[in-house]
Amino acid sequence: MTSAAPTPNASSDYFAVFGLPRKLWLEMSWLEQKFLQLSWRLHPDNFVNASDAEREISLKRSSELNDAYRVLRDPVARVAYLLELEGERKEGEKKQQAPPELLEEVFELNESLDELREVKSSGGDLSDLKNRLQAAEKNFQETLDELDAQLQSVAREWDAALDGNGTAEARKKLMARMNELLNRRSYLRNLIANVAKELTEA
Amino acid sequence: MGRIVGIDLGTTNSLVAYCDPQTKKPVCITGPYGSTLCPSVVSLDPDGNIIVGEPALRRLLTQPERTIYSVKRLMGRGVTDVQGELKLFPFRLDPSTSNVIRVRLGDKVFTPPEISAFILRELKNWAEAHFGETVDRAVITVPAYFNDAQRQATKDAGKITGLEVLRLVNEPTAAALAYGLHEQQRGKVAVYDLGGGTFDISILKLISTEEGDIYQVLSTNGDTHLGGDDIDNLLQAFVHEKILQQDEIDFSPRGEIAQELRKALIALKHELSGKESATLQFRLPNGKVFTHDFTRGALDALIRPVVDRTMGPVKLALADAKVKPEEIDEVVLVGGTTRTPLIRKTVQDFFNRAPHTDLNPDEVVALGAAVQANILDRGVSNMLLLDVTPLSLGIETYGGAVAKIIPRNSTIPASAQELYTTGVDNQTGIEIHVLQGERELAKDCRSLARFTLKVSPAPAGLQRIEVKFLIDANGILQVAAKDVRTGEQHSIEVQPSYGISDSEIERMLEESIEYAEQDFAERQAIEARTEAESILTATAKALSQEQAAALSSEERAKIDSAVAALKEAISATDYKLMRKKIDELNQATQHLAEVMMNSAVNTVLQGKKLAEF
Repeated sequence: MTSAAPTPNASSDYFAVFGLPRKLWLEMSWLEQKFLQLSWRLHPDNFVNASDAEREISLKRSSELNDAYRVLRDPVARVAYLLELEGERKEGEKKQQAPPELLEEVFELNESLDELREVKSSGGDLSDLKNRLQAAEKNFQETLDELDAQLQSVAREWDAALDGNGTAEARKKLMARMNELLNRRSYLRNLIANVAKELTEA
Repeated sequence: MGRIVGIDLGTTNSLVAYCDPQTKKPVCITGPYGSTLCPSVVSLDPDGNIIVGEPALRRLLTQPERTIYSVKRLMGRGVTDVQGELKLFPFRLDPSTSNVIRVRLGDKVFTPPEISAFILRELKNWAEAHFGETVDRAVITVPAYFNDAQRQATKDAGKITGLEVLRLVNEPTAAALAYGLHEQQRGKVAVYDLGGGTFDISILKLISTEEGDIYQVLSTNGDTHLGGDDIDNLLQAFVHEKILQQDEIDFSPRGEIAQELRKALIALKHELSGKESATLQFRLPNGKVFTHDFTRGALDALIRPVVDRTMGPVKLALADAKVKPEEIDEVVLVGGTTRTPLIRKTVQDFFNRAPHTDLNPDEVVALGAAVQANILDRGVSNMLLLDVTPLSLGIETYGGAVAKIIPRNSTIPASAQELYTTGVDNQTGIEIHVLQGERELAKDCRSLARFTLKVSPAPAGLQRIEVKFLIDANGILQVAAKDVRTGEQHSIEVQPSYGISDSEIERMLEESIEYAEQDFAERQAIEARTEAESILTATAKALSQEQAAALSSEERAKIDSAVAALKEAISATDYKLMRKKIDELNQATQHLAEVMMNSAVNTVLQGKKLAEF
């Protein structure tokens, strides 16, 4: 294998690292193949005896490749990254949003969690509470799956809008929708993680 | 340019290997004592000479205060980290210890990287003697779960030795490389690596591509303070307690007797790997012999807590790799401690698959390091290693929380950019605290470095500095900063939380050269002297026991004169004469040794008889 010197004009756009447009649907096996091919070309192991400058470039480009692969192969991180790239999701503005239609259930869940902690400290019977929490956890997990399905469908719309050169306004709307879904998602994920933690500790 | 080697810098033993240009196979180099294993023990003799390996191991019994083992446990660690070790290991910390640990050997003080450097230099000597050429570059292995500071300390040790460290390779990954080459494995591989002091579990994917084979690490987990040492500690505590109960004898867990007991217990542990039962016979300071029958089952029960502790990281690594135990195609066992039958059985039951043990578990890591050294030496190759960072990298945010910027198990090199700005008018510096670990709060993570970004006074929010955090292919952090408005590189001085500064390394390098200049005869003399000292100590001890009265006055006179002759020989420099006098003393004490042994056996028999009544 010959390793040509990597070019320094790396793009900091993860999609561009793989020569891809900013679309959200990706063939995973294609992505992996590309990642491995590029790794052969860029990895610092191939530049141990090269000049300082070449080594520096190899380090920069291979780290960028690894960063890009890490983000793009995760469908949710991919959407979040796209929104950041397009200026829709700014640093420090990532917020967790409680889905309004779930407020009542979230309220009940938090009460059950409080109760669980109380009963745990007083050493009472937990089985009933545990069952209730497990049911709630399952319920929220279903909602999360639903959210993911919605996110996927908006992502398809985004790809179609790019293909059909959808108006800037239409794209903006899609991004706002995806951003909202991501915020809800991260709220739910935290909630589920908390319940799971309390349950394993109980 | 000189030769390149692969080095396994282990807690208990260290090895050096290279790739044979003819056979293309990695080979471990045999040292002057006929073994490929160099005990990771360093001793300073009263003349200020450094002794490493086998002779140093012997000095552990005669001069424990001048000898150190398991120094790897101290690498890259601060005083508060090692409080637990200090109770179990005879490390003597110097009062000058601050963030960097300093240990005392006799009247001198060394940092852990300096002591590791002595071991590296010894291996470099082995290799140079083998090749008849200089060795100037090395690949050194580290536990996969080593953090940034521990890796940096290992790299520093290489620098102090005058070796260019081309790469730090994770031990389980190195083992996978050696096995891959050996057996043409494919698919998903779990490497379970339990050494003397560290535990690693790595999940890898072996992929064939047009260009060659890729070894992609999917995840790694472990415990840098879990190993065979812990098994030895459990055994030692158990027997110590028994001795206390039966014979009401207490002794310092750090002194000479404890070291002898430890040695006997390690031998017993090894014996029980091949047999179902074994008996410990240990001579106590009062001349009595403590005896205890161990069965494999009793040993298993005793060490189960250590074995169980390894399974948590195994499950976490599988979860991170998103692989189920039944999806693992091959299981590889690495590290001498995996010879323990209970460990083999536990791992086999968990994966429902017989582990590979064809390569010597003591040598496999060094062999893999040699493979990687060969890859790097040639620049291009048909093998590629994609490793990961074991711990998440984070920065401290408001309220002592940690924001993760590079998640654990990210393929390295990996990077993250963070944009910083000023919060108040005319602010002149922005404090940044970099951490490693999985916990939510900064105080629970490992502090890697703190630094201040200097900015010129301006209205709040105007200054924009982009900081790039990069973990290189060695798993070591690099930090660079750029002024976003001007595009200029921003200089930053990173003060490592637990590291040694570059200027200090320079000084250590200069000092270490003094130790390296001893010529062959001098080294031989030191080794012979060490051996002589341990025989003289043993002889004096035997003669002081009551059983020595069984010797005839003629025999006694012979021993006394042989002792005097040896003492005279070691006060000079002729190593051949020392060897001759050692042999003569050995011959003179043969009968004494027999008397001692018989008396020990008799004590045991008498003890049994008494117990029968």
